[in-house]
Amino acid sequence: MRRLSLSSRLALLFAACTAVVSLFAGLLFSGASEAHFIELDQQLLEGKLIGLRQALHDVRSSDSEIRPDEELSRQADLSLRISGSDGKRWYDSAADLPDKLAQQPGLSTITHAGTDYRVLNAPLFPEKPDSPQLTLLLDITHHQHFLQRMQRLIWLTVGLSALATALLGAWAARSGLRPLRRMSNVAKGVSAQSLNARLPEESMPPELAQLAHQFNAMLGRLDDSFQRLSAFSADIAHELRTPLSNLLTHTQVTLTRPRPIEDYREALHSNLEELQWMAQLVNDMLYLAKADHGLLMPKREPLQLGHEVDVLLEFFAPLAEDARVTMSREGDAGIEGDRGMLRRALSNLLDNALRFTPADGEIRVRISEHTAGLRLNIENTGDGIDPALLQRLFDRFYRADPARQESSSEHAGLGLAITQSIVRAHGGQIRCESNRGWTRFVIELPKKN
Amino acid sequence: MKLLIVEDQPKTGHYLRQGLAEAGFNVEWVADGTTGQQLALSGDYALLILDVMLSGRDGWQIVQAVRGAGLDTPVLFLTARDAVEDRVQGLELGGDDYLVKPFAFSELLARVRSLLRRGSTAPQETSLQLADLRLDLIRRRVERGGQRIDLTAKEFALLEMLLRRQGEVLPKSLIASQVWDMNFDSDTNVIEVAIRRLRLKVDDDFPSKLIHTVRGMGYVLEERGA
Repeated sequence: MRRLSLSSRLALLFAACTAVVSLFAGLLFSGASEAHFIELDQQLLEGKLIGLRQALHDVRSSDSEIRPDEELSRQADLSLRISGSDGKRWYDSAADLPDKLAQQPGLSTITHAGTDYRVLNAPLFPEKPDSPQLTLLLDITHHQHFLQRMQRLIWLTVGLSALATALLGAWAARSGLRPLRRMSNVAKGVSAQSLNARLPEESMPPELAQLAHQFNAMLGRLDDSFQRLSAFSADIAHELRTPLSNLLTHTQVTLTRPRPIEDYREALHSNLEELQWMAQLVNDMLYLAKADHGLLMPKREPLQLGHEVDVLLEFFAPLAEDARVTMSREGDAGIEGDRGMLRRALSNLLDNALRFTPADGEIRVRISEHTAGLRLNIENTGDGIDPALLQRLFDRFYRADPARQESSSEHAGLGLAITQSIVRAHGGQIRCESNRGWTRFVIELPKKN
Repeated sequence: MKLLIVEDQPKTGHYLRQGLAEAGFNVEWVADGTTGQQLALSGDYALLILDVMLSGRDGWQIVQAVRGAGLDTPVLFLTARDAVEDRVQGLELGGDDYLVKPFAFSELLARVRSLLRRGSTAPQETSLQLADLRLDLIRRRVERGGQRIDLTAKEFALLEMLLRRQGEVLPKSLIASQVWDMNFDSDTNVIEVAIRRLRLKVDDDFPSKLIHTVRGMGYVLEERGA
């Protein structure tokens, strides 16, 4: 079944509401008028009853002369029946009265031969137990006609007002929902090339402002990811361009004329270096791609971080001694994580620290434990990093030192990005701070996740 | 030593065969999985090198068939797919090791030799020797030309590895993995520095050098004519 549009739904709902309300009001009104008529009839009949009781005060039996005409003649639509206490009919003021009438005292309404009557039963002498009964019949057909007319009017009103609100509601809903159409138009125009379209949040009604805000935020996030992705592809191409052009040039130059065997060997060695660099780059990018797809699944083995750091410090010890940098570790904490991945992450940080620590500098690793998790600081002395660049450190291919940009034998600038991916895969966060001659990488890891 | 390579990329297969043959192995190379499986099931080979993606039977099916037939021939997987589950699956099915493309040939060679050595029970050595270099495994002492050399624990482990695999070119990644238990590719030059320091102690004072750098490939310990 085709689903109704929001406008039609709203219009139908409006119409239904109006119909229910007007129907209710109509029924209330018609009920009130009917009650009012009954009250009027009762007052009239009771007034007549008093007059009739006076006029008929000497009636004792069916043989008595009955002359209530004076009272009745003033009211053409009123009829009277007098019956004995045994129910026998003594007198009828009109010929076409119904044969059987209710005997219980009080007011009732009957229909006889197309005519509606209000009927009042009362004893002629209220103080006597075997008093003859007076039955007053008031023709109320014109009341009923009025009520029927009114009911028709009510139905007509209900119908017309429902129709009118349906139409007005449709119009109101359409104009009320215009911001949604605007939203849909913006959404229609969004593609990879135009992720910069935004909804005007301030001109949106309050109910939609939140949605518009989220919608814009979503576009923003998509835009950001897409920019990164495009930048990443562009960076890959750029990174590969230098070694590729080296390979091409070197190989072609080598082949242009015959050379001694040593030259060929040299050319192949040089090519090998470029190729190894490219292979490493591709492997690192595959690792990052895996992380991006949530495929880095760290093992959960119990580890002592202090021990892991010591192993790494031992690994880097020859480099540190060469660079005359002292390395130390303080603190320890247990963690569940992947030994190989964490070693890789920390080794990138230590390698990085060693590269930027000047001679006679210092690298300190500090591990501290707190309730929620643990913190590992790797800090090194040195010039520090421009605070504006701290955020970008973990970007792929980002190098703090632009002079290294084109030297292909250097690091590709993926190490910190890989470290970040590993830390995130462990449910942690990494950031970099730099002040007062220290550069500090702070890793925060949950104990269990 | 007869090796079987099942690899459907002609260029890769060709160079693998050439490289391994020149390293002294008797190598057979087939490109399709069905033939590969028939040959593997003959039991004539000391090692199988299987590409995972093959036409006919893939590498995993072959290793299952081989293990199903009760053969314990070591299997080295080559794969371009680097998903963790792939590795787990390959090893669970009975593969002994895997290499993810792109890999260095020196790495492959070192792994092949490791796998081939694994089965053979080498006699329990008490010392290792090359020329006038002697490493006493029990007393943890190193001498060269009767002269005592003091090494740190890691330097000792590094020299032991070089001596045990003398004549083999050992890639840096393998050294990092075996000596320091760093099982990842790192572009750090720690290994270069460590080798340089070892050379300083082992080679520098002696006319004939034993530790050699094979450019772009790794390091080898061997006696070379002056």
